Amino acid sequence: MPRRLLASLVVSLLVVVAVAAVTHGQSGEYKIGVLEPLTGPLAGEGKRHLEGYEIVRDMINARGGVMGKKLVFAVADAPDPTAAATEATRLITREGVKIVTGTFSSRLCGAASEAAARHNVIYWETSCVDPRFSKRGLKTVYRTEIDATGFGWYNVEFIAKHLAPRLGKKPSELKIAFLSEDSSYGQGVTESARQRAKDEFKMQEVAAEYYNFQTINDFTPIIVKFKQLAPDVVHHIGYTNDAPLFWRQAKEQNFLFKAHVHAGATGYGSSDFGKALGNDANGAFALLEPGPGFRIESLKPDGQKLEKEFRDAVQKRTGSYPLGAHQLAGGGLWLLKLVLDRAKTDDPDKFRAAVMSLDLPVGSMINGWGVKFSETGQNANDRVQHYMLQWQNGQLVTVWPEEFTTMRAKWIPLPAWDQRK
Amino acid sequence: MDPAARLGPAQIDVVAQLAVSTVLLGGIYALIAVGLTLIFGVMRVVNFAHGEFLMLGMYLAFFAFTLQSLDPYFVLVVAIPLFFGVGLVVYLLVMKGVIDASHNVQIFTTVGLSTALQNLALVLWTGDFRVIRPWHSSVVLRIGGTAFNLSQVVAFAVAVALTVGLFAFMKWTHTGRVMRATAQDRDAATLMGVDTDRVYRLTFAIGIACVGAAGVLVSPLYAAYPQAGLQFVLLAYVVVVLGGLGDMVGAMVGSLIVATVEIAGSYMFGTAWKEVFYFLLFIAVLVFRPAGLFGQRGAETLGV
Repeated sequence: MPRRLLASLVVSLLVVVAVAAVTHGQSGEYKIGVLEPLTGPLAGEGKRHLEGYEIVRDMINARGGVMGKKLVFAVADAPDPTAAATEATRLITREGVKIVTGTFSSRLCGAASEAAARHNVIYWETSCVDPRFSKRGLKTVYRTEIDATGFGWYNVEFIAKHLAPRLGKKPSELKIAFLSEDSSYGQGVTESARQRAKDEFKMQEVAAEYYNFQTINDFTPIIVKFKQLAPDVVHHIGYTNDAPLFWRQAKEQNFLFKAHVHAGATGYGSSDFGKALGNDANGAFALLEPGPGFRIESLKPDGQKLEKEFRDAVQKRTGSYPLGAHQLAGGGLWLLKLVLDRAKTDDPDKFRAAVMSLDLPVGSMINGWGVKFSETGQNANDRVQHYMLQWQNGQLVTVWPEEFTTMRAKWIPLPAWDQRK
Repeated sequence: MDPAARLGPAQIDVVAQLAVSTVLLGGIYALIAVGLTLIFGVMRVVNFAHGEFLMLGMYLAFFAFTLQSLDPYFVLVVAIPLFFGVGLVVYLLVMKGVIDASHNVQIFTTVGLSTALQNLALVLWTGDFRVIRPWHSSVVLRIGGTAFNLSQVVAFAVAVALTVGLFAFMKWTHTGRVMRATAQDRDAATLMGVDTDRVYRLTFAIGIACVGAAGVLVSPLYAAYPQAGLQFVLLAYVVVVLGGLGDMVGAMVGSLIVATVEIAGSYMFGTAWKEVFYFLLFIAVLVFRPAGLFGQRGAETLGV
């Protein structure tokens, strides 16, 4: 044992020396502000998000940092919107940062970015999905992840281009029932999906129902109603306690729909859903970042190299496949590096010009993302590639788009509840 | 399209299913409300921390199941005396000091207790949603065109048993009579030699034991998380006001009324409306029948 310890010590020392050698060429440090919920109810995700940032920061520094300097973080804790605003201000006025990034949550990003914009400081959001974020006309505020309306866009893309053919129907022949929790997230996804399903694909909407996830105790009346409407597809944006309740009661009532689609890391996209239902979860779809089954070879050569390095680093540090928070933070910070490489300054106007000039196809970087920002500071839906995952025997696996994965969507249409094995 | 427009066998199945769901959901609400109505009725204390004891019961069932593989129905046997004890301790440490204070002080105290317990759960057990799956939670009973879950049926049966038991206890035992006397007129009861402190202690402990048992019983159906109590407790207040304070049978009937409004409203108008409907009902009862649908002697001492 001691010998192995000694060996690993020597290896670590060598790594440190190697990194020191690489970073030797850099003169000084470049500090950015990182805002995360590190305490309170969002702490778990916030810490993972910070972990993603740290992993990619090390990857960036191993390549010479940003603007010739070593990238370092001034980290601040933002458990609630008030703290997000005051801590953003503190990072700017006391720590003197010119770029603030964060914040994981839609609850926090609005307040934090508002504070940064007031000081004419760049705000670089990497994961919040509140649709209002990029509609405020703030010139120094950017978001690398798509918003909730983008999730709706992708869900309908999947339903029209993958599910419809496999169900042997034209999109216009599909009957679709929308069900959603009524927060800004659920409404954002659902309303954009409804609109695209109707305007672009002429799908037949048979129901659109909202509920409050904190007070819903029984889905039976909704399920009884939906059974009579016989939808092909149920589009359900659920939260963590209501999604298992809907699924369990749908099984009890023997409600047979042909497919079920969700978006995001809560509800059907959360590992809690699998824990709550075991193999009964089989068949549910959730739009997410890439998971098991993701084919690195499907990316562009540069993207492949980056994705592999990123995954290895996450594996080394956490012992697992990258989770959503790692992937959003990692992909977002890498994009910031690309912008700074081009702008060579943190001057807001030149930075903005560099952001707008970036144009990379899907598959160019971590998560298989590409880049094309709009004037609102929002990265484009069809560049920030998202993936459909499906619950298959206790695991969420990547099933669509098929060119990006080795796994295939099963159970289309869904068979009887006891035959999803 | 109006699904209710055509009447046929399919429609009868729908109505039957909605009726069964109403009764079973009403049972769960009654289970939670019965302890609240007891405390409310006898002590005249609005226990805002009621939902948090429900949450604690859910966590007890969760940990007993995941750590020791104990079935919730077995845990129930332990939970009732355990929560009785918890009720006693909370009464002595917290409630005893404010029992003579104004309603405002009591409300602040129980709201404080509620927030403290929620955050304690958050610190100890994180905000994760905890779900257990004992064998009976996936047993589905099918009768005619209706389907329902075994855990729900058991919860309903226990709710009825608890209601009947408490009703009988209040009506026919000496202690029950003493509790009712205290509820009706505290000063007169004291003059008659009733130890009101003992009555309050017992009432609070029984009320908490009921809601602790309710938490264990709903654990196979709903996820446990620090704010889980909030999901039910607002409803429990509506039920208690509808049924009349301190009225066990009223609580059962009130629960069924709330469940009917919820299930029928969700089916006919949409789930988003459910809270609009039952809080309108709540306000209407407060305005037109402040002593509850069935009236209750002694309600005037509440000053509502």
